[in-house]
Amino acid sequence: MLFWVIAAILTLGASLAVLLPLTGGMKGASPAGDHDLEVYRDQLSELDRDMARGLIQPGEAEEARAEIGRRILRLGAAVQPEAAILKPARSARWVASIAVLAVPLLSWGLYGMLGSPDLPSQPLAERLAKNPADASVDELVARAEAHLAANPSDGKGWDVLAPIYLRLQRFPDAVTAYRNAIRLDGDSAVRQSGLGEAIASAAGGIVSADAQKAFEAALKLDPANAKANFYLAVGLAQEGKKADAVAAWQKMLGQLAPDSPWRSAVRQALAEAGGPAVADAPANGPDAQQAEAAQQMSPQDRQAMIETMVAGLDDKLKQNPRDEEGWMRLIRSYVVLGKADQARSALGRAVAAFGADSEQARKFTAFAASLGVTATE
Amino acid sequence: MVETGHFALVLAFALSLVQMLVPLVGARTGNQRLMAVGGPVTVTGFALTALSFAALASAYAGSDFSVASVWENSHSLQPMIYKITGTWGNHEGSMLLWVLILTFFGALVAVFGNNLPSTLKANVLAVQGMIGAAFFLFILATSNPFIRLNPAPIEGRDLNPILQDLGLAIHPPMLYLGYVGFSICFSFSVAALIEGRIDASWARWVRPWTLVAWMFLTGGIAMGSYWAYYELGWGGFWFWDPVENASFMPWLAGTALLHSAIVMEKRSALKIWTLLLAILTFSLSLLGTFLVRSGVLTSVHAFATDPARGVFILCILTLFIGGSLALFALRASRLTAGGLFHPISREGALVLNNLFLTTATATVLVGTLYPLALEALTGGKISVGAPFFDLTFGPLMLPLLAIVPFGPLLAWKRGDIIAASQRLMAALAVAIAAMLVTGLFIDGASVFAALGVGLAVWLVAGALTDLAVKSGFGSVAPAAMLRRFAGLPRSVFGTALAHLGLGLTLLGIVGTLCFGTEKILSMHPGETVELSGHTLRFEGLFPQKGPNFTEDRGRFMLMGADGNADGAIASAKRFYPVRQTMTTESGIRTIGLSQLYLSLGDENKDGSVVVRLWWKPLVTLIWGGGLVMMAGAAMSLLDRRLRVGAPAKRRKPAVAAAALP
Amino acid sequence: MTRKQKRLSVILAGLAFLGAAAGLTFYALGQKASYFYMPADLATASVPPGQRIRLGGLVEKGTIMRGQGATVAFSVTDKQKSVKVTYTGILPDLFREEQGVITEGAFGPDGVFVADSVLAKHDERYMPKEVADGLKAKGVWQESTN
Repeated sequence: MLFWVIAAILTLGASLAVLLPLTGGMKGASPAGDHDLEVYRDQLSELDRDMARGLIQPGEAEEARAEIGRRILRLGAAVQPEAAILKPARSARWVASIAVLAVPLLSWGLYGMLGSPDLPSQPLAERLAKNPADASVDELVARAEAHLAANPSDGKGWDVLAPIYLRLQRFPDAVTAYRNAIRLDGDSAVRQSGLGEAIASAAGGIVSADAQKAFEAALKLDPANAKANFYLAVGLAQEGKKADAVAAWQKMLGQLAPDSPWRSAVRQALAEAGGPAVADAPANGPDAQQAEAAQQMSPQDRQAMIETMVAGLDDKLKQNPRDEEGWMRLIRSYVVLGKADQARSALGRAVAAFGADSEQARKFTAFAASLGVTATE
Repeated sequence: MVETGHFALVLAFALSLVQMLVPLVGARTGNQRLMAVGGPVTVTGFALTALSFAALASAYAGSDFSVASVWENSHSLQPMIYKITGTWGNHEGSMLLWVLILTFFGALVAVFGNNLPSTLKANVLAVQGMIGAAFFLFILATSNPFIRLNPAPIEGRDLNPILQDLGLAIHPPMLYLGYVGFSICFSFSVAALIEGRIDASWARWVRPWTLVAWMFLTGGIAMGSYWAYYELGWGGFWFWDPVENASFMPWLAGTALLHSAIVMEKRSALKIWTLLLAILTFSLSLLGTFLVRSGVLTSVHAFATDPARGVFILCILTLFIGGSLALFALRASRLTAGGLFHPISREGALVLNNLFLTTATATVLVGTLYPLALEALTGGKISVGAPFFDLTFGPLMLPLLAIVPFGPLLAWKRGDIIAASQRLMAALAVAIAAMLVTGLFIDGASVFAALGVGLAVWLVAGALTDLAVKSGFGSVAPAAMLRRFAGLPRSVFGTALAHLGLGLTLLGIVGTLCFGTEKILSMHPGETVELSGHTLRFEGLFPQKGPNFTEDRGRFMLMGADGNADGAIASAKRFYPVRQTMTTESGIRTIGLSQLYLSLGDENKDGSVVVRLWWKPLVTLIWGGGLVMMAGAAMSLLDRRLRVGAPAKRRKPAVAAAALP
Repeated sequence: MTRKQKRLSVILAGLAFLGAAAGLTFYALGQKASYFYMPADLATASVPPGQRIRLGGLVEKGTIMRGQGATVAFSVTDKQKSVKVTYTGILPDLFREEQGVITEGAFGPDGVFVADSVLAKHDERYMPKEVADGLKAKGVWQESTN
């Protein structure tokens, strides 16, 4: 709103700059001859000074004086016609009105095409000072990065950030963050396996020697680490040792807890390994990685990380709203976090995304009701 | 704020259209009201452009990454000073700075131009409006700095590290003040052509503007040369790079214009030539803008790679150069020529100066454009560098420099070359002495070096002789001489200072090129090296962290004659992670007028480091001379004479009575 | 001399001056401009030792050898032919394997190109224009999108 007021004031000012001189009183015209005469007069006096200083010989000075005199005479003859053309013409009025109108019309028209009037300025400091709850994942990450740039030896900070990078698919950053976390806060199976995953993802899913080393380090610390076992098997498959890979996965199935989120991933990998194609790394590992990381954090960190992930999910759903499961996860997350309002709004958006009388909408409403959330107050 | 700036820019464009049409129509029809629109519109246009620029600068200062150009050229970790200078460290921002300066100069004419005939003023403002409109349109259509991003990225992509330097803060604005300053001379010339007559006051106005533009251009070029010298780490001060030539050509033509404008102002002669020269000078400025901004040349300066921009600027270039030259061809015959003069006279000397300078400009132009033309026509690729310019530009400059001291000593209209030579005898003796001393007593001095030193001393001594002669040295008593010296017009000091500065710059160039020494070697920490009598000990490499870079700083200790340490010099290899770029920071120690310059190379496997050292005698004079030239121009600007030209109000009735029968 | 003759002689002198300058310029263009070659071009064009040229291409992988002091030897290649280059001095910051460079200098009698300047410009995305065009013409290099 303020912008439009400023724009209107500016336009008014600019239009007045055109309008006022047009309506103002006629200034006395000063014929060009007057100015010239003044210059010639000065040239004459300068000639005298130059002669006194010996910069021109007396004979030449006399000649020069005659030249200037001739110019002054010519001037008197030329001044005449100037006075004749002072009558205002009708065409002038046309020009004047067009000019006055052109300024607002042209500027508003052109700005309408080029500008983004609804977009406020967003200086970085202001954005970072905003309430974290309103911030997007990117901003939260930026805040964490700013914090880490100032305190690069905060191992815990790196540890929180690393899985988020991984999730945001900023793999090289994730590698750095994991390395820093390991360097500062010491080895752990979770960090090593996370590092391995980051290296592998950065290489487009190829389990390289570096990644393998990280996974092996993780297994040394925790032989049952699911992620490390899983990726090492992926690596085997990529090397062409499909039988070994299948054996490793099958062994995993035997050891994994019945409710482990890795089960489905392993099954899928086994299914693919059975087919002709070489198994790729799963596009997106199960959430177990974050869950594991969360277990080892302080309560505040955990809360912050969970909120970040929820915000990320929310963002993703804004861009891609036709994700049935995503919506249910989001609603549940908000309920778990105790944010009833946001859970309600998520439900509303979910219903809107699929249409109020769609099958999904009914499902969402029932699901939300089971968690104690209703669409209306 | 950002959108306010955007809106102000659009509004300024609309006003520039009014500015280009209404006063022009007014001047054609003799309508005072229409002509009067020019002034307020120009001033308002400047205010709006300034607002727009301020909005952009504040977006840069506040790291507002919702603005695309900020996102592309800035980073939140950059030091504040480089955030702000980054505003014009990129294509969009620098074009906005260009029009800001253009409208600023236009506003100066509008405010201080009351002593101009009203039709001339209206036409000048209209032509300024045309240039402004063309460039506003260029900015809005192809290089809008206010394009927004939604959602806004959280971090920017950083300014090119090589541009993160204080030199950058000063170099482009100075250069633009010079380039764009010539637009006023251009506008005056085109206005005169539109009117078909050259007012005497026209001449009075062109010279100060030329002086202002020339002063800033001199500063901008000197600054750019020094920046390249210490920032690129190659130890060179001039590379005959097309981008450098782009600013050098308007300088050469502007220097010629400066001199021919004197003749026109004082003697009303050479009017048509001066007018043409003013057009050519600004055309070369436009050409410079085109070469640098279009991406035709690949270099540090060419941030623009968008062909649409190149084509657009080429159109502007063709329109203004072609249009003004066509107008010149049509109207020049109507203009009356001025005073007569003998070939040997001050006027004659200035014509000779113009002949040399314009020819030199032409050779630089050929050397700059020929490779482009050849590639466009045949696809062949050549590079025209220092050897070409040494062979063409050099022989043109040497005789010109040799005759410089004669010019100010010759009388107007008809001069006495013999008398002038006699007055210069002392200067000649000093110059020859300097030449002999150089040739005989300095080891390794070539004939060229001796000649160069002699020529430089000749220029300096000649400039001093001019002052001495004009204050009556030898013919009047010392007290009277002092009085006369103090009473000399400022422009006489201006001339002497400018010529003196030229001599100093030449001395610096000759000193550096002919007596400089250099060494390249690998050094282990603790080793010492000796260069031209200076001993340096390499202390080692020390890693350090800056705000947005990391660096390996090589520390060297300068050893005094007594074997004790005498101050440290450091050169560094910097790494900017955001752009994954390495830069070299050279280490410079100024000793007297000379400099010890060292730059760090790669680290070898055995722990030694490649180091390149230069001893550059008198090198600071190269830029010091430039500063003296600027001081000369400033001195000339203060001359009382330049303020004449307005008809004094009280005398007006008498004049009117005298003019009317 | 009459005034007309005087004016004519001044104009003639001016023209002679301009003519001399023009002549010098074109002589200098013929003699002092250095031509740009890629390694494969050198097979067809015969460049005598000692003539200054610019040689451009990519720094061939694994050929950078640091010798005594600050002398470096490397090969410049356009993936068809390669040319051995020696250079004494500090290599530019962006001198890397597989990156575009332009070297200026002349061939020694032994067929090794002795460079006195090596350019690799100041932006990691920068490919010297001549090199980029040359490589594109040979189909070796495509413009990358980032």
